[in-house]
Amino acid sequence: MASSGQQASPLPRGRREFVLRSAGAVLAAGAIGTSRRACAADVVNIGALYPVTGSFAQIGQGCVNAATLAVQMVNDAGGIKALGGARLKLIVSDVQSDTTVTRTETDRLISGYRPAAIHGCFASALTLIASEVAERAKIPLLTGSSSDQLNRGHRYTFTPFARASQFAQAQLRMARLVSDKPKVAVIFENTAFGTSTSNGLREQAPAEGVEIVLFEPYSAGLTDAAPLINKVKESGANMLFPVSYLNDLILIVRAIKQVGLDIAINGGSGGFVIPDFYKNVGTLAEGLLGVAHWNHDIDADAQAVNAAYQKQYGEFLFEYAGGLVAQTFMIAAALERAASTDPKKVRDALATLDLTEGHAAMCPGGRVKFGPDGKNIYAHPVGVQWQHGDLATVFPAADAHSPLLKP
Amino acid sequence: MLTAVAQAIVNGLLIGGIYSLVSIGVTLIFGVVKIVNFAQGEFVMIGMYISFFLATRFGIDPLVSLAVSMPVLFVIGMLLQHFLIRRVLALGDMPQIFLTFALSLLLMNVALLLFTANYRTVETPYSEAAIHLGGITVAVAKLIAFVVAMVLSLVLWVFLHATDLGKAMRAAAQNRDVAMLMGINPDRVFAVAVGVSLALAGAAGSLLMPFYPAYPMVGQVFVLMAFVAVVLGTLGNVTGALIASLMMGVAESLGIQFVGADSGLIVVFAMLLLTLAVRPSGLFGGWTR
Repeated sequence: MASSGQQASPLPRGRREFVLRSAGAVLAAGAIGTSRRACAADVVNIGALYPVTGSFAQIGQGCVNAATLAVQMVNDAGGIKALGGARLKLIVSDVQSDTTVTRTETDRLISGYRPAAIHGCFASALTLIASEVAERAKIPLLTGSSSDQLNRGHRYTFTPFARASQFAQAQLRMARLVSDKPKVAVIFENTAFGTSTSNGLREQAPAEGVEIVLFEPYSAGLTDAAPLINKVKESGANMLFPVSYLNDLILIVRAIKQVGLDIAINGGSGGFVIPDFYKNVGTLAEGLLGVAHWNHDIDADAQAVNAAYQKQYGEFLFEYAGGLVAQTFMIAAALERAASTDPKKVRDALATLDLTEGHAAMCPGGRVKFGPDGKNIYAHPVGVQWQHGDLATVFPAADAHSPLLKP
Repeated sequence: MLTAVAQAIVNGLLIGGIYSLVSIGVTLIFGVVKIVNFAQGEFVMIGMYISFFLATRFGIDPLVSLAVSMPVLFVIGMLLQHFLIRRVLALGDMPQIFLTFALSLLLMNVALLLFTANYRTVETPYSEAAIHLGGITVAVAKLIAFVVAMVLSLVLWVFLHATDLGKAMRAAAQNRDVAMLMGINPDRVFAVAVGVSLALAGAAGSLLMPFYPAYPMVGQVFVLMAFVAVVLGTLGNVTGALIASLMMGVAESLGIQFVGADSGLIVVFAMLLLTLAVRPSGLFGGWTR
């Protein structure tokens, strides 16, 4: 109401402003026109495939925001020097949380804009498809998606961050933070997501010295978590891994508090480590543990980027979006090394990178060097904990920036 | 072991109280108006959002907002009967099913549009509070919900048996034509029945809010159990729906505890099938007398 009132009331000033603004706009348009003509060859297209509509829209929009910020940072620092200060241009394509659309959009992006490199798509199912298309077109694709499948038989796919198999291992190792003899209860919804994640945990548990004392599937969409928590209590576990979506998780966390059960909770990755989780769960989230491939407190660069992002968008830079800033700088580094916008040369440059500093190395492990399968050989996930409405890195010790609050 | 059994029974009774508010609403509409209301769960959802917004905007406790959600839904029920249900009553089963089913889809999607798919929780001082009795945990929020549900059921029972309007409602349920011959105005009786039924759904919503997250599809979680309870307790039988709801809550809880956490519903449906095989009309024959 207030803003519309301000716009409507001072008419005379409004008219003057209109004249000034339109004059400014004409000048600006002229400037852009000339600069575009002057630098036509000095723009490097970077493709960004994200779902900005559909079920993943909120996260996809966050990714686009972060990618835009990253491109702006590269350009503000002088662009690509090996290409005469060429500017990066982000070409955003909406893959709509849909596999069919992802295929056609990736095709369209590649044929229409000839990007030097692409990054995307947040959801593993979408990324798998985009990576197939990019592979055929011989365009390098960087992604933070964790599916191990992305590293099989791809020459043009690069994964700078931890893989799905590493997540389960990290989650199991974190159990040792809580107890020397971790006794873990795994409760998981009986869906594809729930069973595959929990099976991964069960397979790796013996090697990590973690005893699983309860392995319990439940029907997603609980009416009451009390009976389930009753079972967890009976099992004598000192740590709980719920593989659940948010609604069940809320009930589980509340039921644990009610029973007065002294148990640490690690909810894994994905929806557990985004700002929206805290918005929905509130203080109940305090002390809960999770796993992420990136976190905004891992080094000074990450903290600075996070501050800039938070100022602009009002929430902290989440895992996937933060990883994208690093990815943009990896692409910039590859462009410097290749001194060309030819995707094949950029791919070869990416394959030989070994970065240890700057925003490109803003990753857990602090180093980026891709192996023959496109995996960053130094990548590993970090353990995080919700502390005062923020996500703090607490594991492993080398990356930890905050002490673990006893859950 | 004994503690685990006792705990499972307590858990089951407490959640059964919530099931009963939803199932009594369904059975009341069916008994009096002879229509199956597939949208009953969505009225629980509306009750939850009423309490959620009163709590977050004005700091009103969800239990206090019961005084808002119940009358609001009562009025919605009267309007629903007057403008929609009344028009399809003479048309047979199919249009009635389509009407309430469409209403359910409509309400869910309007809620999705207005409130987004996000989960909303209300934090009250008693949300995570519990009473510990010799190793058994009784969640305070659920205990309150259970007690209020039982009081509301009792009030409804008294209303149906001791007031003229209640008696008229039971008469209309038993035999609509004879009731009309006796001078009972069916429009009025039906409107009150739908109103009361939705008010109970609203009460369930407000009582759930301190311990259950609200989201547009939340009604679906509870309506399935409510329908099973309605059939198990004999269609149209208010007392039957109440007892069946409590039984189902206990069966589900025992099932989760001793069969498997994904088997709670198996136990409930096994109980339903077994009952129907032995007593096809449910556990309690006929309208409560």
